[in-house]
Amino acid sequence: MIFVPKQKSILPGFGLSMGFTLAYLGLLVLIPLSMLFLRSASLSWSDFWATAFSSRTLAAYKLSFGASLLGASINAVFGFLVAWVLVRYEFPGKRMMDALVDMPFALPTAVAGIALTAIYSQNGWMGKLLAPFGIQAAFSPLGVVIALTFVGLPFVVRTLEPVLQEIDKEVEEVAASLGANRLQTFLKVIFPALGPALLTGFSLAFARALGEYGSVVFISGNMPFKTEIVPLLIMTKLEQYDYTGARVIAVVMLVASFSLLLVINLLQAWTRRGQS
Amino acid sequence: MSIEVQNITKIFGDFTALKDVSLHIPAGELTALLGPSGSGKTTLLRIISGLEVPDAGTVFFHGEDMNGTHARDRKVGFVFQHYALFRHMSVYDNVAFGLEVLPRKVKPRKKEIREKVHQLLSLVQLDRLGGRFPSQLSGGQRQRVALARALAVEPKVLLLDEPFGSLDARVRRELRHWLRKLHDEIHVTSVFVTHDQEEALEVADRVVVMNEGRIEQVGTPDDVYHHPATPFVYNFLGNVNLFHARVEGGKAYFGDAVFDLPQGQMQHDTSSAMIYVRPHLLDITRESSGKNDLKARIIYINMAGPVVKIELLSARRDSIQVEISQEHFERLRLKKHEEVYVRPKELKVFTQDYSI
Amino acid sequence: MTKSTTEPIWIRCALIGTAIFFLALFLFMPMAAVFIGALKKGLVVFLQSLIEPDTLASVRLTLLVAAITVPLNTVFGVAAAWAITKFNFRGKHVLLTLIDIPFTVSPVISGMIFVLLFGAQSALGAWLIACDIKIIFAVPGIVIATMFVTFPFVARELIPLMQSQGIEEEEASLTLGAGAWQTFFRVTLPNIKWSLLYGVVLTNARAMGEFGAVSVVSGHIRGATNTMPLQVEILYNEYNFAAAFAVSSILTMLALVTLAAKRFIEWKSVVNCHSRSSS
Repeated sequence: MIFVPKQKSILPGFGLSMGFTLAYLGLLVLIPLSMLFLRSASLSWSDFWATAFSSRTLAAYKLSFGASLLGASINAVFGFLVAWVLVRYEFPGKRMMDALVDMPFALPTAVAGIALTAIYSQNGWMGKLLAPFGIQAAFSPLGVVIALTFVGLPFVVRTLEPVLQEIDKEVEEVAASLGANRLQTFLKVIFPALGPALLTGFSLAFARALGEYGSVVFISGNMPFKTEIVPLLIMTKLEQYDYTGARVIAVVMLVASFSLLLVINLLQAWTRRGQS
Repeated sequence: MSIEVQNITKIFGDFTALKDVSLHIPAGELTALLGPSGSGKTTLLRIISGLEVPDAGTVFFHGEDMNGTHARDRKVGFVFQHYALFRHMSVYDNVAFGLEVLPRKVKPRKKEIREKVHQLLSLVQLDRLGGRFPSQLSGGQRQRVALARALAVEPKVLLLDEPFGSLDARVRRELRHWLRKLHDEIHVTSVFVTHDQEEALEVADRVVVMNEGRIEQVGTPDDVYHHPATPFVYNFLGNVNLFHARVEGGKAYFGDAVFDLPQGQMQHDTSSAMIYVRPHLLDITRESSGKNDLKARIIYINMAGPVVKIELLSARRDSIQVEISQEHFERLRLKKHEEVYVRPKELKVFTQDYSI
Repeated sequence: MTKSTTEPIWIRCALIGTAIFFLALFLFMPMAAVFIGALKKGLVVFLQSLIEPDTLASVRLTLLVAAITVPLNTVFGVAAAWAITKFNFRGKHVLLTLIDIPFTVSPVISGMIFVLLFGAQSALGAWLIACDIKIIFAVPGIVIATMFVTFPFVARELIPLMQSQGIEEEEASLTLGAGAWQTFFRVTLPNIKWSLLYGVVLTNARAMGEFGAVSVVSGHIRGATNTMPLQVEILYNEYNFAAAFAVSSILTMLALVTLAAKRFIEWKSVVNCHSRSSS
């Protein structure tokens, strides 16, 4: 039987805590979510297909997936670097830097959105620097990438840090004593050990970016076919009372998110095995 | 208070921890549950305490059925292997806990609690450390706090799970003697779990040897050591040499060697008998008496320690361990690679097969 | 000479420099933009925009939402962590994954599922309208959507810690005669208090800062169903940048306090671990 103890335990409160957990989880999460899927099931397959993959939604998928992928990749590179620097080196301001890495977790997305827009719009600090090169950051796909990089930043750093800390210095010393130079040691010893964690961090950042709404809507400009991300498209459909359209796109996004969650769980199991 | 365990069975998933175990523990005694890991000894202890619920069988305290009684109402003192001290409480608060949680009606006054705790802390020789936190104590000190905490509720039964398991050898020995002394003072029925035979034999009034969820033998330390009931007990309590032999007409045949079997031991003929001999019950001679000895070659001599440990190889390439006194070794002047004769002073024969 | 297990000084400096540049670009600069934007027109305008009635109403609503959401989700988190870490049962992994779901769902979709559930077009919604109960485009909807979004935080903080603490202390407490609630309040709760506090702080930060989900269910009625992040959006879209950044600066402070709390709690548990291992 599922959710029933395997052994009779003398600790109190299983029924109470498990009952409350399942009731709360069911009422707040499972039932509302399953309604979304159930109602969509009443749609005919061709209607579903037409709504889910119209040219406007396709453009939105392309932007959402593309920009999220790009943002996660930027985070994989720079997040790796930040994690490395924070774990391996000592320098002034390190502790503050370490603390600030979590900023995108804590900062309301709307605030991040307007702040990034202010910086990258034509009169902003960065916008002014980029304009002479003919680069328009805000109100373009680039702006979307910038916002999605911001929201995914902590994931790679925070998944890599503990793994990096656990890498045995002795292993590196062994590699060095066997004649490997620093670059060889890094490429052949350190990097492979970090692989699973890096991939996990990347996937987490990607998953977060895919669903992100608040920080993107201000900077993207929200032009259909150009800078319209999927969550925004859902929002637009809701505002037009096109509930069916919104629901269909949401189902597609949820399937993508849950597949990612599955991948992430598998990756984390892999990481844990690598550590032990 | 006596403890009676009747037909206890406990299964975890597909692992049977206890198979129909029955045991009587007399009041006021210090009993050891001795066995290797996985033998079910800790499970039995936890079932007695009420921390684990048996799948079948009953536990009686002083004749009273305890099955329906929750652990918190059994009045047992339980000392956990890793102490399980409350890490956020001082030593004082840890010991006082059992008194603090009593229902208001029976809860002693603050002053009485204080006196009681100090009395217990001095009993375990930690009077000055009441303000410390568990993290600031050594392993041995934590162990004594755990014991004082268990004693605070005036338990009718004291149960200790591997009480010295995670301490280093010297502290272990000290605490062991101290526990024995303490028990002689307070005389509460006590059961402790250990996998260390030396510990069990030295401290306990009574030893229960367990293996694979069953009880192999119950007896005084003297009993189980000198009169092991099963090959397992013989094996577990000290080092042993094992010879596979054929028994015929009251004699055991082992290669070319022939041994007279002691009176009262197995007399029926078999081709697969086991002969057990402890290393210190083997003697070494240069000359064969033609009977009751076995030719072997010395391959290793270790003289460090109170006895000389000698490893030999028989003609059938069985390894044989012998322990002889330093004086005897001096007299014999044995050398490595020398061929000698090994003679058992005492041996024990079992027929059922047993792997070491 | 360089040690064999570190890099030459110039590489180290280059790496540190790049990391600082990246973080400055993505973290310092937006924060600076918020505070500078808030104070651009002077302290008076800053304060005026904060005491504007609609803004004050949004602050009140935000506090109300947090005041309902945080306690409920805290109780849930503790209950879930207790059931999951203190007992062995089949389906533990399934339960853990289910608890994580709100993390994976886009905030917009999180809000949307409640619009679909309680909106006028559903049977339940029609019934609610008949009974004159407003959930969507009203405060209850905002509360429910916020609860959904912040649902896993406390449980996620507690589960790893309680897993590592095991059940021996609770068992010891029971053998010493303590009851269930005595054991929970005297033994378990003090052991998890710092992580619990951090979970609460995180839940609170997210509850006050949630935008996407709340945006879907709120209906954007000024002075009535706007939380602070929604108020930021409205002010911004009206080109009232100073006021938008003024409200944002309050939310940014909240985020900074959250980060400080995280540091403090980590430091606290490191100190505990340290004193434990040093003995």
